[in-house]
Parts: sequence; C-alpha cells; structure tokens
Amino acid sequence: MKYLKSISVEGVPGAVWSPPADIYKCGKQWLVKVELAGVSKTDIQLQVRGSRLIIRGVRRDRQVLQNQISQSMEIAYNRFERVFEFSRALEGAAIQTEYLDGMLLITIATGGQA
Amino acid sequence: MVYPQGNLPILPLKNSVLFPAISMPLVINRPTSVAALDAALTSEDKFISVFTQSDATVDKPDAQDLFDIGTLAVIKKMIRVDKFLHVEVLGIARVKPKGAAEEKPYLNDSFHYLPDLSESDDSAEAEAIYRAILGLTEKMLKLIQPEMQTGLNYILSEIDNPIKQIYMLGTLMPISVDNEIELLGAETRLALYRSMHAVLEREVQVLELQHEISSQAESKMDKERREYVLRQQLKAIQEQLGEERPEQADVDEFRQQIAELKLPEAILTEVEKELIRLERMSSVSPDYQLTRTYIEFVLALPWNKTTDDRFDLDRAQKILDEDHFDLKDIKERIIEHLAVMKLNPQAKAPILCLVGPPGVGKTSIGQSIARAIGRNFERMSLGGLHDESELRGHRRTYIGAMPGRILQAIRRAGVCNPVLMLDEIDKLGRDFRGDPAAALLEILDPAQNHDFHDNYLDMSFDLSNTFFIATANTLQDIPAPLLDRMEVLRLAGYSDEDKLQIATRYLFPRRLKEAGLNGEQLMLEEGTLPYLIKHYTREAGVRGLERTLGRLVRKVATRVAKGQKESLRVSPELLTELLGPQLFINEQVRHPLSPGVAAGLAWTESGGDVLYVEAALLPGGKGLMLTGQLGDVMQESAKTAHSYIWSNASALGIDQERIRNAGVHVHVPAGAVPKDGPSAGIAMVAALSSLYAAVPARSDTAMTGEITLGGMVLPVGGIKEKVLAAYRAGIYRVVLPEANRKDLAELPEHVAQRMQFFHVTCIVEALSQIVPGLTGQVQRQTNGGDIL
Repeated sequence: MKYLKSISVEGVPGAVWSPPADIYKCGKQWLVKVELAGVSKTDIQLQVRGSRLIIRGVRRDRQVLQNQISQSMEIAYNRFERVFEFSRALEGAAIQTEYLDGMLLITIATGGQA
Repeated sequence: MVYPQGNLPILPLKNSVLFPAISMPLVINRPTSVAALDAALTSEDKFISVFTQSDATVDKPDAQDLFDIGTLAVIKKMIRVDKFLHVEVLGIARVKPKGAAEEKPYLNDSFHYLPDLSESDDSAEAEAIYRAILGLTEKMLKLIQPEMQTGLNYILSEIDNPIKQIYMLGTLMPISVDNEIELLGAETRLALYRSMHAVLEREVQVLELQHEISSQAESKMDKERREYVLRQQLKAIQEQLGEERPEQADVDEFRQQIAELKLPEAILTEVEKELIRLERMSSVSPDYQLTRTYIEFVLALPWNKTTDDRFDLDRAQKILDEDHFDLKDIKERIIEHLAVMKLNPQAKAPILCLVGPPGVGKTSIGQSIARAIGRNFERMSLGGLHDESELRGHRRTYIGAMPGRILQAIRRAGVCNPVLMLDEIDKLGRDFRGDPAAALLEILDPAQNHDFHDNYLDMSFDLSNTFFIATANTLQDIPAPLLDRMEVLRLAGYSDEDKLQIATRYLFPRRLKEAGLNGEQLMLEEGTLPYLIKHYTREAGVRGLERTLGRLVRKVATRVAKGQKESLRVSPELLTELLGPQLFINEQVRHPLSPGVAAGLAWTESGGDVLYVEAALLPGGKGLMLTGQLGDVMQESAKTAHSYIWSNASALGIDQERIRNAGVHVHVPAGAVPKDGPSAGIAMVAALSSLYAAVPARSDTAMTGEITLGGMVLPVGGIKEKVLAAYRAGIYRVVLPEANRKDLAELPEHVAQRMQFFHVTCIVEALSQIVPGLTGQVQRQTNGGDIL
C-alpha cells in the first residue's frame, strides 16, 4: 500500500521526538542519562507516576535567524517525551537532577530492591 | 498540549492526506510550497499546517482550492536536493482554518484546533464497529500480497490506540482522497469508526472480487505464463552464453537495411512502427513470422531504385534489328515511343499491347525493348488468372496473405522502372472472386497508377515509371475499357520467306549452339530449310519450326556423339530419314477443284488458313443444309449466298430448275473446328454458283469478302493473315473486297509481288475471276464493263 516502507507511527502521543538515554545501576541507585542538547532547562518537565518516570519537554530552535535558509535538518525540535518503567513504584524515592553539557542526569535512589 | 495561535504556513498536498500521529515523507518542489517550508524551518517549533487540494490538477492553489480541514504538523527531518525538498512531517492535530488566509509570500492562516478524539467511547455500538473493523482488516490481510501484509500486521498488533490504528489504515489503504478527508473530518470516535468501516467493507469486497477474477484467469493463463517464464529464462541463458536473441538480430539487421535504403518518409514511419511491434514479439509467436515477412517485403521493394534510361535511338534500332527479323512497322512504332520518352522524360510511360498469333515473338520484343533502353525486364503471365487478389494481394490479416503479382514482379525486377510484360492479357479469367481485368484498369492507367494500392502492402506504390507491355493473341477477349488504355501494335504471322530468314539467322544457329555442334558438323543444303518449313510445320509463328530444328539438330548431335567424324550435309531427302515422313503435305491445296468447291480464306488466332467451302446437290431434296460447326453469322451468309444465286439465276446463266428441284448441302471442313464470321460470303456464292452451273471454280484462286443480298461485296478483317495463308498454300490469286485494298500495304514485299489481287465491289465481278466457266450475262457484263 501507499507509503508502507517509510511511514511510522509514533509510540508516544503528543510528542514529536523522544531523546536517547543511557541507564546505569549502582547498588540501589539508578542513573538515567538523557541526551537533551539544546533544550532549555526551563523547558524540561520531570514526572513520576507509579513506577514510571516521565520526561517531557520542548526543544526550540533558538539559534536560527530569519534570513537563514535551512539546507538540511536532522535534529528534531518541538515536543519530546520519554517514559521509563521501573519494577516498583517510585513514589518516595529520592530523585535528583542535574543538567550538564546538554545531558540531563537523573539519579534515583529507591528504598528497596529495584 | 499548547498549539500555536498565530498564522502558520500552509503546505498544500495534491493526492494525500496527513492524519494526526502519522509521520509521512514528502517531496516538495512547488516554489510556494518550498517558501512555506522554508518559513516553517526557520521557526522555533517547526510547525506547519498541511492541507489537501480538492482539485489535484491545480498547480498554484489558493485557499479555495483546499479542503477546509487539515492537519497541524511538525517537520521532523529535511534535506534539500537541488530544487526538491525531502521532508518528513508528523501530524499533530486536526485543524480548521479561520478563513483569513493570506497568500503572500506563501499561503498562511491561523486555525481552530479540533478535539483529538482521545476520550474513549464505551458504547456497545462503538465497540462492535471497532471489532468489525479489526475483523475486516484481518480478512484483508489474507487477500493482499505478502509484501504488503507487514504494514497491516503492524497496525493490528503493535498499535494500541484505536484512533491511530484507523488513521494508519486510512493512510495505507488505496482509498480516494474524498474518503480520507471524510476520515480526517470525523467529529467523534463513532463517526470515525463508521466511515472507516464503510471504506474497509468496500475495499474487502473489491479485493475478494479481484481475487476471484484472478484465480479464474490464472487457470487459463497458466500455460501461457509457463511458456513466458520459460522463454524469459531461455533469453537469460542466451544472454549469458553471449548468444543474441534471434528477434533482436532480425530487428538489428532490418534497422541496418533501412539506414542504407533511404526510404521515403511515409514508408519509413510505417516500417518503424512494424519494427517496434516486431521487437516486442517473441520469435515463436505466429505473428512474428508474418510481421517479419512483411517488413522483409517492404524493404525488398525498390521504392526509389531506378535504372538510367538510355535513349540512344540508333542503338535501340540496332538492338531491335539484332533480335528480330523484319517487323518493320512494330520497330518503327517502338522507336517513336522511345523518341517521345527521350524528349519528355516526365511523360507517363506508355502502355503497349502487342497482339499477334503465338510464336511471332511478342515476348521477345518486350525483352528487346528493355534491352534497347537499358531497363530491367520482368514478365508475368496473366493467363488463367481469375482472382483479383492475385493482382492486388490479400490483406495482411488473412492467413497466407501475399502481395499481388504486380508488386512481386516489381520486387523481382529490383527497380521501380522496369519493363513489365503482362503476358496473355486476353486470357484473363473472371469469376465470383472479382474481375482481375478491373484491377488492371487501375494499374494500366497512367493517371492513376502513381498511387497503386496493394492490399498486402497497405501503402501506395508508384507504378508510373514502369513501362507496361501487354501481349495478347486476339483483341476480342480484352475488355473494352482495358483495351482503351493501351496502344495496340499488331504482329501478323510470318510468311515462309520470313521464316526462312528467321531460321537461317536466329533459330538454326541457336539450336546448333545449344546442341554443342558447330556449323561444319551440320550443314543444310539450299532447299532443305524451305522444305522443312513447308512440310514439317504449319503455324503463324516460329515456335514449331524451332522445335523441329531442335529435333533435327539433336539427331545429328547423337550421331556425332556416337563418333561420326565427317560433317553431315542435310538434303530434303535426308530430312525424311532424320525427322520421319513429312507431317504436312499440302493436301489442302486441291487441284483441280470439282464443281461446288471454292477456296475461302479464314483468319484464326494462329494466323490465316485456307478454308474450302463444299456444296453438293441433293436431287429431289429440299432446302439448304449447313454443316461444319458454322456459327450463326456464317449460316446466314450461306443462306444469303443461296438466295442471291436463286434470285439472280438467269443473270448468272444458271438453270432455275436445278435450284428448284434439288436441295443443297453446304459443308465447310474441318467439321470439328467451329467457324464463324461473314467473310466466307464470297466463297459461299462461288461454291454454290459453280455447283448449280456445274463448272468448277479456279483452283488457283482464293477469296474473302462479305456479301449482301443485293450483290455487294463488303470489306472484312485479317487481310494480311489471309493473304499469307493463301501464299503459304501456294494459291497466288486472291479476290478481295475493294475496300480492303489499303490493307495490302502491310504485306511483305516479296509476297505482294508474287500475288495477284482482284479488288471487287460486287459479286458478279468476283465470280468472273473465280468461276470463269459461268456463262450468261456475267461474262458479257464484265467484258462490256457494264456492271450490275
């Protein structure tokens, strides 16, 4: 059928893209590293719902000027969303965030076994 | 989600609809669309709105040319290749324009955002339709081709959001833009389900039907397909082996030929068309051979190949003289024709018709003409041809279709200006399949034949440069319209002197050469040839003579081959030994004649003949009996003769009692040969008057002429042949109608000198020369110069 090979359906509704992430584990501590280059700190939202950690936000292209003509675009802008599912509820866990060199580092220390 | 509130660029699409949550690659090159994209790409959020054109043929759409529902989208990726923008856009939300569209520098507008149908509908109806949709989709999965199934499978198994599932189906299925817009515009889940269900149901029906048809066709097609596949494999193998496809070799060869030929434009396009057809065909298909043969024929035709004419009249005269003895008139006419052709090359080629008895050299004159002007010679016999298609060809759709004889002859000649001889044009047949003579009308009309249409060729061929020469034995059987188009040249029969010359100069040397003898091994004594001509042949032409000479030469050749060394001089006596007893004794010359017999002269297709009219009294009998296969006209002339004598009995010195008391029988031998015509009238009168007067007619006098009841003598035709026949038979006095005096000019000089002619205007005059014993007034009147 028409566009079979190249059409895809986004897994997450309402978002244009989802950032890549690395996840590390150290004892009872988790480190989630999300690549969010070019995203303003104020445009990132972090949410916890049950066992899910949800990162949402918007990447705005602020470096472009009106008289520039785009020749190629590989970086996705606009809304993004990334959901991480953990094996137990995260409510009550200690969550710390740090935004460093375009990376969002989220440290989660759960009470029990992850 | 927060949607942009200001104006957004509008990207118009021609044949597709972008649904929310669907990511779609697009290639854009319309300048206004590119401008819209450029603007969107320099924005912070890369938002753009995507609308579908209600009319895909409009190239520069304004707001009116778009459906009033569209999709807010985000550009995900873009790459510019020359003037084309390859982008991937992701649908976000359904929008309706506020209707304040601006068109410069690109279409843009601000929008109302429509709900995303995300709240679920728990009604039983919605659930039921949704399940039906899934069912239909699964059904469809089985009907479509395998490479398309993954997409559907993905929709069914991977997507958990029903709205997205339906949008995806809408994108993937080959449904019309109107249907897609309907899906996009659905206000509620239920409405969306319903639209989708309708579309799906129809699609599945179509697919099922298609499936059914193709499986029906498949069983039929199976054999052909198998052959096709095998042939393709064979082709691949041949290519691997470095063997060219035979078809391609053919086509290449034809192309090369065409390049060399310089065909006229019109022909070229036609042949090119056929070549393309040929290229696509397999060499095993029956059509292939047909098309191939056709192209071969077209290319073999001499479209513009000609020989240069040589109008050296002296040379032409020399060639004609070399090839034929005498025939002065004919040669003169031919030279005249050539002269005209020389002075005006544009003049339409004449159409000559040579008429004469068999064996007088009609065909070889044609060859001489060709030789004289340096053209190719081709001959085709029309004898017994009874089907028009033989001349004009059959249409190519028929099995075994062939081009007509005319074009075949032209092809054999290899040039488009040959001398083309149409032999035996008087022997054309005609039947229900058409009249070939009618087809000849077109071919032989110089005003029409530049555009000759052959059914097989199916193109016009120019015959106007062809020099047509027809031959015939008689003119009677040639349809008048056909005769009208031709210039008739008559060849009369040859006299014995002519034959002697021809035999000495042409036939005998030729036969000697053919038999491998030289003039010293076989010599003819002076009187031998005339003896042979007189006693072994009787014909107007020289074919029998040549055959007889051939026989003679072969007999001698046999002797030489057996070892005879000394040369052989053949005398008339030796002829009998070599050829057997003489075949023709001049039995027809009766000498003297008994009363009641007179020598008439007849014209036949093979020249002239002496014809004796015999009459016998039947004492006590009654009336007039006629035998000898006489035609109506001849019977009537016999009756006229009888009545004339009866009514003029006393003037002729005949006893009326003899007429009254006896019947009379008139017979004209030979009884098996049909005879007709009025020219035996005088002979009838002579025979009857000699019978009644009981005095014989002169045996050295032959006669011809039509009579009237009043005693007049009217002119008749074929004088030259008749006189020659008398001459051959050794009858040197001939009584002719006065009006035929002019015809004697045609006679060869030596004949004219030998003969004695009596030109008569009335019967009495004639009888005085034929039946000198008639007493009564005839003698007195003739002597007294007082003619009736």
